[in-house]
Amino acid sequence: MPGHVNRNQIIERAGRLPVFPRVVTDILATLDDDNATMGNLAHHVEQDPVVTARILSLANGAAHAHGGGLVRDMVTATSMVGIAKVRELVLSLSLARFAGDSRVSSYFWEHSVAVGVCAQELSRQVAVCPDHALVAGLLHDIGQLWMAKFYPLEVQQVRMAVSAGTVPIREAEKQYFGLDHCEIGYILADHWNLPESVAVAIYHHHGPAPGLGQPLADVTHVAEVLANALDLTRRDDNQVAYLSPASCAVLDLDWSEDQSQLFGRIEARAQYACAAFR
Amino acid sequence: MDYRVRYLPLSEVTEGMVLGCQLVLAERGVVRFSLPAGHPLTEANLRQLAIHHAEFVCIREEDRRSDEERAQAVAAHERRLAHIFRSADLGDPTLTGLYNAVLAYRRS
Repeated sequence: MPGHVNRNQIIERAGRLPVFPRVVTDILATLDDDNATMGNLAHHVEQDPVVTARILSLANGAAHAHGGGLVRDMVTATSMVGIAKVRELVLSLSLARFAGDSRVSSYFWEHSVAVGVCAQELSRQVAVCPDHALVAGLLHDIGQLWMAKFYPLEVQQVRMAVSAGTVPIREAEKQYFGLDHCEIGYILADHWNLPESVAVAIYHHHGPAPGLGQPLADVTHVAEVLANALDLTRRDDNQVAYLSPASCAVLDLDWSEDQSQLFGRIEARAQYACAAFR
Repeated sequence: MDYRVRYLPLSEVTEGMVLGCQLVLAERGVVRFSLPAGHPLTEANLRQLAIHHAEFVCIREEDRRSDEERAQAVAAHERRLAHIFRSADLGDPTLTGLYNAVLAYRRS
């Protein structure tokens, strides 16, 4: 039993996690400036053989389809792939490596990718930046990663209590840690200098208060519910217990309308993305 | 002949498949590539989709399942959905709406 953890302990232990990828905060801080973003991307990509290989592979796939020659440099590759796609890849691959280096279960990351894809698709419904939506979706359960990394036995006990149906997850976490994974996630996001809207979305992803005025929180909440409702990870313990009517209203989602296009896009993109990260 | 619409990742899309809905690829609000619903995909189209980094395609295909096979598939979807919503209060109109929307999608 860890007793009740506090902000200082959370941050001190976060220092024992792999280094949080600086490029994520850099990209999110300069989204409106393509020149700055390009500079960050080029700098990061040049130092990262995995990201370089992935972008070159995409560019060469397109070049091959064009009947063109081999693409060997990042400037040509980026111009072929497009800056938005390169940015998305750098964000996703950087956070995937962070999760992998943290040695979390593959399920954790597949669920995160599924929620990230849902959040990106839902961001079309409301004025929310798709890159912010992607990162909020990928990191919404980062508090659980922290708990599992430093208190695996306690997390197991929380899961058993939740599986028995006796107590909701946040309540069970508070009994063991004094804070739940949403609060811990907010502290970590703040510590890593992620945008306030992303930190707030992580904090509220189980259900934003009506009138919160943070549409990214609504996007992230509905994204996680949809990822479970559509069974994107096919885990036996997938479940939907709550969906905020206020968040649905913010996203202008009317469930009585035909949602097959939205659901179909999400399923196909999640399948594509999860396969890419396996 | 019955048909059904499916969304497939690009890796599963092959020449000859027929688009189930209009395909539009846009970047920053500018349409870069589009094909109409009902269009049979050619090898050239697949190359174009790769060039534009499409991730998925909506296709229409013959549903060759028997009535019994379809009923079994729907029943399996309903069981799974009931399991996923096992803790949900289906008296809540929002949750019921989502449940019904997913069920309708699975039945289609």
